[in-house]
Amino acid sequence: MSQTYDPAAIMNNPDTHSGVTNAKLGVWLFLASEIMLFATLFTSYIVLRMASTSWPWGWDVLNVPLATVNTVVLIGSSMTIVMAYARAYDKDKGGFQKWMAATILLSLAFLVIKGFEYGPKFAAGIGPHTSVFYAIYFTMTGLHAIHIVGGIAVNAGLLYMSTVDGHWKNPLFLGRVEGAGLYWHFVDIVWIFLFPALYLL
Amino acid sequence: MSKNPDAATHDEHRPNVALYVKVFAALMALTLITVAISKIHLPPAQAVSLGLFVALIKAALVAALFMHLWGENKLIHKALWVTVGLGAALILPIIDFVLISGQHTSRADVANQHPPGHAEPATEGH
Amino acid sequence: MSHDEHGQHAHHELSFWERYVFSVDHKVIGLQYLITSFIFLLVGFALMGLMRWQLAWPGTPIPFFGALFPSDLAPNGVMSGEFYNSLGAMHGTIMVFLGVVPLAVGAYGNYVLPLQIGAPDMAFPRMNMMSYWTYLPGGILMLASFLMPGGAAQSGWTSYPPLSIINPGQTVWLLSMVILITSSLLGAINFLVTTINMRAPGMSLWRMPIFVWAQFVSSVLLLLAFPPLEAASILQLMDRVFHTSFYMPKDILILGQAYAGSGGGQPLLWQHLFWFLAHPEVYVLVLPPMGIVAEIIANNTRKPLHGYKTMVFSMIAIGVMSFMVWAHHMFISGMSASLSNFFLVTTMIISVPSVALMTCLVFSLKGGSIRFNLPMLYALAFIPLFAIGGLTGLPLGLTVTDIYLHDTYYVIGHFHFVVVSGSIIALMGGTYYWFPKWYGRKMNDTLGHIHFWGSVITMCGIFAPMLFMGMGGASRRLYDPTAQLHNLPVQGWNVVATYSAYALALFQIPFIYNFFNSMWRGEKTVENPWQATTLEWACPSPPPHGNFEKTPTVYRGPYEYSVPGRKDDFWMQSDKN
Repeated sequence: MSQTYDPAAIMNNPDTHSGVTNAKLGVWLFLASEIMLFATLFTSYIVLRMASTSWPWGWDVLNVPLATVNTVVLIGSSMTIVMAYARAYDKDKGGFQKWMAATILLSLAFLVIKGFEYGPKFAAGIGPHTSVFYAIYFTMTGLHAIHIVGGIAVNAGLLYMSTVDGHWKNPLFLGRVEGAGLYWHFVDIVWIFLFPALYLL
Repeated sequence: MSKNPDAATHDEHRPNVALYVKVFAALMALTLITVAISKIHLPPAQAVSLGLFVALIKAALVAALFMHLWGENKLIHKALWVTVGLGAALILPIIDFVLISGQHTSRADVANQHPPGHAEPATEGH
Repeated sequence: MSHDEHGQHAHHELSFWERYVFSVDHKVIGLQYLITSFIFLLVGFALMGLMRWQLAWPGTPIPFFGALFPSDLAPNGVMSGEFYNSLGAMHGTIMVFLGVVPLAVGAYGNYVLPLQIGAPDMAFPRMNMMSYWTYLPGGILMLASFLMPGGAAQSGWTSYPPLSIINPGQTVWLLSMVILITSSLLGAINFLVTTINMRAPGMSLWRMPIFVWAQFVSSVLLLLAFPPLEAASILQLMDRVFHTSFYMPKDILILGQAYAGSGGGQPLLWQHLFWFLAHPEVYVLVLPPMGIVAEIIANNTRKPLHGYKTMVFSMIAIGVMSFMVWAHHMFISGMSASLSNFFLVTTMIISVPSVALMTCLVFSLKGGSIRFNLPMLYALAFIPLFAIGGLTGLPLGLTVTDIYLHDTYYVIGHFHFVVVSGSIIALMGGTYYWFPKWYGRKMNDTLGHIHFWGSVITMCGIFAPMLFMGMGGASRRLYDPTAQLHNLPVQGWNVVATYSAYALALFQIPFIYNFFNSMWRGEKTVENPWQATTLEWACPSPPPHGNFEKTPTVYRGPYEYSVPGRKDDFWMQSDKN
């Protein structure tokens, strides 16, 4: 099975290689599909809202202060993950691990706060079946929370990998951190739109 | 580079921590602004457009600077433009509902579907 | 070398499981997709065989098989209405999502695309494996939905609410769809990155074979059109499981009982979101087969394709436009009349590049010295049969005629001409064309001819009667077509279609036998048996792990046939002189 196929011939060829690594291009294309996914949900939200005669105001039915705290937490986690990337770029392992751990803690905090937001709702007998508003609220925030869980898994994986020398010294490692960061920032952007759409307007 | 072509070292962005801090501060400020705006009862059209505008600025900041879209390879830009262009077609269902609203749709009174008395107590009145 | 960092280049001996089951080699995965999707096509076809019995001779017991079904599905061997509905829904779903798309993209795309661009493998081999191993469980889950109380989903492959939300089988349908869509998305990302980044030196965009372009455009469609259906399916799943009301209007009664949710949703929203995917999906069904036909025609006319660039631009135009035509499936749904006009216009516009593609294929035949080998027969059959399918679509794209035709058999005849005698014929031709590459052996010619003529004639025997019946006003989706007087005058055509369908089933036997027999006992062939020019023929048959002995360099376009002044009538892309 010996072979002389030389991937460098392709990777270093400006005519046939875009200059973006496969991994980064893959992440961006994945995000493109995610954009369509959430765009569809927002379209459904707009349609349902327009096709109704009245729509509740977020301040009346949801816990806005808690959601504001959550917004701050999530944007903070975007900040920490970009710091983790900066540390990884400078090959500072301790710094990377510190900021990545902070990111994971913040995202866990987001989920806990989310739980505090859901809990009283369920206790009061309010669920997705209550009204179209709650249906879209629980579906969109729930789907967003699933994305958060996925992001935590990826970030925790990277944090573990940084403790293994073979992974930390791998030249691909920085690209992996960048990819995880892209996904995380995207989850943040989704929240940036969800927050006003559901809670404020 | 030929040693490990996947690494393509020119591909990663040099981080700029001072900039990240500024972006973070701006995002925090905009979050407070958007919450504050929503407390003033603006007419729905203005409230929605203002809220959407602020959200767009925040998203643009994150995308351009945290995600390094500013100065990213043109290919990524093209892929995103294609996505935005084709995603724009999702406006058509909305247009349809604008046009048929009230004729062929059964419209629900959503705000009053909620069980009374379970409204979340807001921290301060409005 | 960085070989050992990539799992796929490891030099240790692979175990049986690594080599044939959980393989990361795009060729093995392609063949896995090929066999699996052919099996799903057979399953979908068998479901349809049962339905056709009911349509031709309603109320009579199904021979042989009738006794096998539980009595709630088929009491005394006579199919029940619910069972008929389940069969209809599952036939459509299996054929589209588990049969043709995985065959066109998963199988041919996986096997041929990396070879044609001179890549050692796909960009993400492990993700490629994951994509197959999410597709298969998703498909099995879909089949398992027959075991749900009340049977499988019963609301057609389109699953229009509120009807679809009533049936427990729908829950499994939706879960399975979410899994299948995930699999498609993984595949689409992989194809795009591979095509963008993994081309051999010299393989510029304008030197890519048409088939690669077709896969590229299809992958864009899959990537951007599938997520809306995923979102829509999640919303419907919420309606089914958590009694939300995204698609349930207020005050709806189900069998006299009020719906458990609040109401206030919009059924029409699902139709919009569903067709937002499903129309681009139609082009995913059509473009790769068209690419295959273009490859075969260029190869067997021994001359360059007529209008290579026109074809590429047409495909791109189709890809873009396909996002703006979906609501022509909804003209009678109650959508706004002015928006109907918009979609009428876009539908007429998208027919222009489609016709341009077909015209290029026809003009490619002009002046060629045509070799009538087996793949070429399929390619030649594709052109008129697909044209019938395409042109019968025009009256459906015009609101005025659509209102009469929409709920008749005409629609079924139209899209089956497109997908069966168009796409599937081309995909079968692709099997005969690339089989020597897959196994180093040729398929038997005589059996192939029996399969070809038998399939083409019986396909016309099934679908042409549907067009006639539809124009006669026969309603579609009916369990018992003889129950309404207006269907009776054309009922004879249902019998013709049923006999043709059973004959079509018989004519697949030579194909199946031929396929497996030739795998081991077929006539051995050389590396490039068709004297073709594209890169997949520049590596051994079957290609070894890693495909090429050494990185090929590409010097010219994909279809340099009969270049004046050369001894051979073909000039491979990788041959310098």
